[in-house]
Amino acid sequence: MSKQINVALIGNPNTGKTSVFNALTGLNQKVGNYPGITVEKKEGICKLPRGVKAHIIDLPGTYSLNASSLDENVVIELLLNKNGKDYPDLAVVVSDVENLKRNLLLFTQIKDLEIPTILVINMSDRMAYKGITLDIAYLEKELKTKIALISTRKNKGISELKELLTHYKEISAEPCLNASEIDTSYFNNLRKAFPNQLLYKLWLVITQDVNFGKTDRKTYDAVEDFKTKSKADLKRLQQKETIKRYQFINETLKKGQTIDLKSAKDLRIKLDRILTHKVWGYLIFAVILLTIFQAIYDWSSVPMDFIDSSFAALSEWVKVTLPEGAFTNLLAEGIISGLGGIVIFIPQIAFLFLFISILEESGYMSRVVFLMDRIMRRFGLSGKSVVPLISGTACAIPAIMATRNIESWKERLITILVTPFTTCSARLPVYLIIIALVIPEGRVLGLSYQALTLMLLYLIGFGAAVGSAWILHKIMGQKSKSFFVVEMPNYKLPLLKNVALTVLEKTKAFVFGAGKIILAISIVLWFLASYGPGDNFNNAENIVTEKYASQNLSEDELNQKIESQKLEHSYIGIAGHAIEPAIRPLGYDWKIGIAIVSSFAAREVFVGTLATIYSVGSDEEETIKNRMAGEVNPILGGPLFNFASGISLLLFYAFAMQCMSTLAIVKKETNSWKWPLYQLVIMSGFAYLVALVAYQVLI
Amino acid sequence: MNTIIQNILVYIAVGAAVLFLVKKYVLPMKKKSTKACGGDDGCGCH
Amino acid sequence: MTLAELKRGQQAIITDVSSIHIPLKLLEMGCLPGNSVELVQVAPFADPMYLNINGSHLAIRKETAIHIIIETVHE
Repeated sequence: MSKQINVALIGNPNTGKTSVFNALTGLNQKVGNYPGITVEKKEGICKLPRGVKAHIIDLPGTYSLNASSLDENVVIELLLNKNGKDYPDLAVVVSDVENLKRNLLLFTQIKDLEIPTILVINMSDRMAYKGITLDIAYLEKELKTKIALISTRKNKGISELKELLTHYKEISAEPCLNASEIDTSYFNNLRKAFPNQLLYKLWLVITQDVNFGKTDRKTYDAVEDFKTKSKADLKRLQQKETIKRYQFINETLKKGQTIDLKSAKDLRIKLDRILTHKVWGYLIFAVILLTIFQAIYDWSSVPMDFIDSSFAALSEWVKVTLPEGAFTNLLAEGIISGLGGIVIFIPQIAFLFLFISILEESGYMSRVVFLMDRIMRRFGLSGKSVVPLISGTACAIPAIMATRNIESWKERLITILVTPFTTCSARLPVYLIIIALVIPEGRVLGLSYQALTLMLLYLIGFGAAVGSAWILHKIMGQKSKSFFVVEMPNYKLPLLKNVALTVLEKTKAFVFGAGKIILAISIVLWFLASYGPGDNFNNAENIVTEKYASQNLSEDELNQKIESQKLEHSYIGIAGHAIEPAIRPLGYDWKIGIAIVSSFAAREVFVGTLATIYSVGSDEEETIKNRMAGEVNPILGGPLFNFASGISLLLFYAFAMQCMSTLAIVKKETNSWKWPLYQLVIMSGFAYLVALVAYQVLI
Repeated sequence: MNTIIQNILVYIAVGAAVLFLVKKYVLPMKKKSTKACGGDDGCGCH
Repeated sequence: MTLAELKRGQQAIITDVSSIHIPLKLLEMGCLPGNSVELVQVAPFADPMYLNINGSHLAIRKETAIHIIIETVHE
């Protein structure tokens, strides 16, 4: 058996920690959750020389061990729990050569926990550009560590880092400064009360409001003279500690680092003069958004059409090739069209995550936060709400999790509540197919009407989010104290590898997460549409033949009538007819009703459901879109999907809360069923009303 | 004969799908409501 | 004067921070007495403020900036 060591990657945000992780693990990584919470846990395996394997955990980015968010708690909990299975044998602190001073703060804290620590100085390729020189030997001595000078961008220093990991036993665990000097008498008392504990660890437990293993906490609280300081005093001590750490760092860097300001260039300031400008900044942001939507629409239509027709052909091929029977039908009509309903989203989801990850990787997203803060605050949101609202265009679930770095609870809660209004990728297929059906082709100023409609729907979603935020802001009243600190990282050319891995991982998560649900629902729906109770269903052939006996129909026409008789009296048909009165005023028939009901599990089921329902009723190989276009309104005549019902349906999907997974995540993040229930009732009720008004006005 | 096998396969597939959905949606909800995440668990709220 | 009154492009030294009103995170990012600060850019209505504190580029709101006391540097 080969040896395996636990390595924790720790570092400030924007230091390229994830690039280091990707460089070490490549595709040998998996993303999961920490038990019980929804913080993303990234881990991977790195093979080292001499048969040693490193199990590497990429911890959430943090500026210090004084946690102010759930993500940061994860870091501390892992580092303090000596008995945990992920407790690191070795910590690797990743720092950015341009922000060494600030990055070293976290490094000194980790060192104080007496964990063997390696310091990685990343982005070393920018040293010459910035006029920085480092005395590595001196720094290693002062910081009591080994330093790996690497550049993930230029792929330099990775093998040296691996070499250091292999010799993990030689890495010092000695702390590099004595933090207890900030208040000697207090810390002496502490030492007396808990002689066996690490002083800095005690200090962290006292000052943090987080959940360290409950038992830990209780034993500390049990000792009487333990809590001798008020909160304000503790904070003053923390400030003193920070100042002391910086004194040490400044002294170390004074000798170990020289910066020649004359040869330093700063692209960031030049770019920010334009990109965060009062006018140009906003214009550029608008242009970027517009480009993204046009690109998503244009670029993904080709692969999507291809996927749609391929699956139709495959379904037809299965029907012809396999022996006739119920299972062949399930395969052709249920499973294959269900699978088609999943695969067809892949191009758009991939494109969307491509753009989002480029915006984040390049550092532009922070500028958006800066630009939007003042505007968002007016609606009770924070500039940081923009990131959830933008990532909400991919999926509300990661977006709601991304609210964790919003400092004020009120701003965070409002962001969580309104994020599901933004147009998530699950709405996209619904929008695309309905737009294709009811919005005419043609262009204005080089932009197609269809793309503009899509853009408008995104704006409506965003507007609904912001509008409801404003209402919530007014209802909740009372100005809670809020902090807002956002780093403006240096601009970076996004690393292809990082972007590609993000796109791959998110697409995979969709296909295997949502995909399974869609497939299962498709199978159940097919069953409900293919079987039915009573005479009307089981005797459909005789009933229809008798009914039309006098009309001399061709065999094809007769078969069509039989199929629709069957569908109407199947389980699903009966259920659909039961809810039809409620949705008739919106311009929908019972088939759309079924699709809406089934998409309460997940919106993307809508297209798959219609595909399943319609393919049950027809024999020919046809694409979903053509089948939908052929549907006739049973009462008014004319196409069922006309302008009025199409718009009504688009608006219904824009506002309705139709995603069980989002409700579950909101419950988790707000710790109560109250908020997800409000969301469900208010959003869906509002959606119904708007769709009703739209249809009645347009018809 | 053939029809019987086909029907059996259909019921297996549908049964598996229903089981999966029940597991995914019905069971976790029950678990959550009995073992509430509340208390001093620190689920991230103030 | 306070940080909120700093003009664009002006350099200053932080002389005092009121630790009760300032999140620890900001202190840890280098917003400590003795460090230099420069206003890089302001959003409309001069809020939030984009600062270069001790080499860290960050944005904070005006309501936080009023709790940071500074002294301008004349060159």
